[in-house]
Amino acid sequence: MRHGSESDRALEGETVASSGTGPWVSVIVPVTERPEPLVGLYWEYAAALQTAGYRFEFLFVTDPAYRAMTEPLAALVKAGEPIRVYTVGQSSSDGALLTAAIGECRAPVVVTLPSYRRVTAEGIPQLIRRVSEGADLAVARRWPRQDSLLNRLQTSAFHALLRWLTHSTIEDIACGVRAARREVLAEVPMHGDFYRFLPLVAQRDGYRVEQVDVAQHPAERRTRLYGPGTYLRRLIDVLGLAFLLRFTQKPLRFFGLIGSAACLAGSSVLFVLFVQRLQGRPLADRPLLLLGMLFLVLGVQFIALGLIGEIIVHLHSPGWRPYRIREGGVPAAAA
Amino acid sequence: MDRCSREDSMTTRVQTSVIVPLFNEAQTVGALVEAVRAAMSQGPEWELILVDDGSGDDTAVAAAQACARYPDHVRLVRLARNYGQTAALQAGFDEAGGAIVVSMDGDLQNDPADVPALLAKLDEGYDLVVGYRVRRRDRLLTRRIPSWIANRIIQRITGVRIRDNGCSLKAYRRELLERVRLYSDMHRFIPAIAAGAAGARIAEIPVRHHPRRFGTSKYGLSRIGAVLADLLVVKMVRSFRDRPLALFSVGALLALAAAAVFGAAGTVSILAMRRGEGVTLVFPAAALMFVGLSVYLLFLGLIAELAVREQLSRPGIRGPLLHGEIG
Repeated sequence: MRHGSESDRALEGETVASSGTGPWVSVIVPVTERPEPLVGLYWEYAAALQTAGYRFEFLFVTDPAYRAMTEPLAALVKAGEPIRVYTVGQSSSDGALLTAAIGECRAPVVVTLPSYRRVTAEGIPQLIRRVSEGADLAVARRWPRQDSLLNRLQTSAFHALLRWLTHSTIEDIACGVRAARREVLAEVPMHGDFYRFLPLVAQRDGYRVEQVDVAQHPAERRTRLYGPGTYLRRLIDVLGLAFLLRFTQKPLRFFGLIGSAACLAGSSVLFVLFVQRLQGRPLADRPLLLLGMLFLVLGVQFIALGLIGEIIVHLHSPGWRPYRIREGGVPAAAA
Repeated sequence: MDRCSREDSMTTRVQTSVIVPLFNEAQTVGALVEAVRAAMSQGPEWELILVDDGSGDDTAVAAAQACARYPDHVRLVRLARNYGQTAALQAGFDEAGGAIVVSMDGDLQNDPADVPALLAKLDEGYDLVVGYRVRRRDRLLTRRIPSWIANRIIQRITGVRIRDNGCSLKAYRRELLERVRLYSDMHRFIPAIAAGAAGARIAEIPVRHHPRRFGTSKYGLSRIGAVLADLLVVKMVRSFRDRPLALFSVGALLALAAAAVFGAAGTVSILAMRRGEGVTLVFPAAALMFVGLSVYLLFLGLIAELAVREQLSRPGIRGPLLHGEIG
C-alpha cells in the first residue's frame, strides 16, 4: 500500500499517454512462441484496464523471428494508443525479453502478459489490485479450468513434480500472467527459462508472492500438445531449479550426499569381496570388483565436483548479501 | 529502498555496535535491550542493532517499541523472510557502524554484562574474542554432550583451538569482518574462518550462561550431517583456497597409487597364467579406471586453479590482517 501511494505521488508530474485517472500500469507482452493477432489482444485487455479506471501503457517486445507479428501495431501507435514496440537484436527467451523491457517501463506496477490469451481480460485488474494492497508479486491461477482433460492432466502432473522437488505452493506456475511492483521484476533474476519460475525465485528472495484465481480465457479450450523436446526441456528446467533453490550456497551438500552414497555402495561391495578373498576365493575372476571400483570412482568424482562448487561459491561470496532487508534503520518503523 | 541511512538515527559517531539476531523472541526483546543498555552505557558511544530474522510472532513490534524508547542507540533491521542465523548475523555486520562489533544471542542466555570484559580483552590486541560458557545451563543429553563432541571434532579438523564454538557472544574488530563473509550455515565456524581466511588473533574468555527464560531452543540434534559437510568445506576452503591444484593433485596421486597396485596385480596374474586359460581382465580394468580418476582429478584441479586465479587477482580482494606487537 505504502509503495503504491509513494510511487503515484512521484509520477504525478510526468506525462501520461493514456486516458484515465487511476493508478498507472505498464503491461509487457513478450511476443514469442505461438502469438495471436496482437491488435485484437491489445483491444481486449486495454478495454478491461480502461473500464477499471487504470492509466496504462503497453510494451510489446519481440525478437527478429517474430518481428512481423508486431507490424500491425504500427497503425495503433499512429492512432495515438499508448503502445511501444521493441525488437531485441537476437533470438531470445521470454525472460530475456522481459528483462530488456523492464527498464523501459514507466509505471510503478508492471503486468506481464503472454502473447496469447490465457486469462480473461477482467482478471488483470484483480491482479493489479492485489499488488496495490501490498503484495510484491501477484500470480494468476487459471481457475476454474476450462481446457481439455489432456491439458489438465499435463498441468497437474507438472505441478505435482514441482511441488515434490521445490515445495512450491504456486498452483499454476506456467500461466505467465503476473502483476508486480516494478522493482521486484527488476531485481529477481529471470535469465533463460527461469522466467517461468519467477514466483518461486521471488519467494526464495523473501518477496511476498500471492496467488489470485482468475477466469481462464475461452480461447484455451482447445487441446494443446507440444513436441517431446518441450516436455524434456520443462523437466530439465525443474531439476535445475530445484538444485538452484536449495543448494546455491552449499553445493557440497548435494554432491556430497550423492557422492558418499556411491562411495558407501562401492566400499560395501569391495568389503564383501575382500572377506570372500580371505576365505580363499580368488579375486581375479570377480567382475563384481569392477562394479565396486566404479561406484567408488564415481563417488570420489561427485565429491570433487562438489568441492569445485564450494570453491566457486566461496570466491563469489564477497560480492553478495545472503539476505534481503525488508525495512530497517528507522526507529518505530514497524509500530 | 525504504531503508533510512544510519546517519538519520545515529547522530554521534558509534564505536561499538552490538548486533543481536532475533527469531521469535518477542518476550525477551524488552529485557534484552535494557540489559545491553545497562552494560554499555558506561563505555564509549554504542549502538544496538536488532536483526529480526523473519519472526512469525510479535518480535518486530516489541523491537520497534524498544527502538522508540532509545532512538539514539537502538535500531531494528527486518529481513524479508527467515534466512537463518548466519544470514542474520551477516546482515548485522553489514549494518554495524562501529569499529568494534559484538554479537550475541537474542534469548538472554548470554549475559550482556559480559560485554565490557570482551571489549577489554579485544583491546589487548586481538582481532576476535570468543566467549566460552562456564556452567552451561542446557540439557545434558541433547545439547551439552553433542556440543562437546562437536567442539572436539571442529578443533581437530580445523586446528583452531576454541573451547566453545556454539557460544554466540563474540567481539570482532571491523578489519576482521571486512575479510570474512558468512553464508550458508557458517556462523558455527567463525573462529576457524577468521583464523583461516584472515589470520586473526583469537582470544577466549569465560562468560556467564543463563537458563532459557522464555520460548524454546531453536536448535536440536538434527543438523549433524549438514554440520559435517560445512566443516569439510571450511577446512578445504581454508587450506586450499590459494592453491586448489595441490589438493586435487593429492587425490590424483592416491588414485594413481591405486592404479599401480591393480596394475601390478594384473601383471602378476597375467604372468602366472598358464597356456590355454582365458586372460582375466578384472585387474587391468580396475587399474585403468583409477588412471581415469587420476587424470580427471588433475584436470578438475586445473579448473579450480583457473577459478581461483581469476577471482583472487581482482582488485579489492583484501589480504590477511596485519598485526603489530601485542602491547
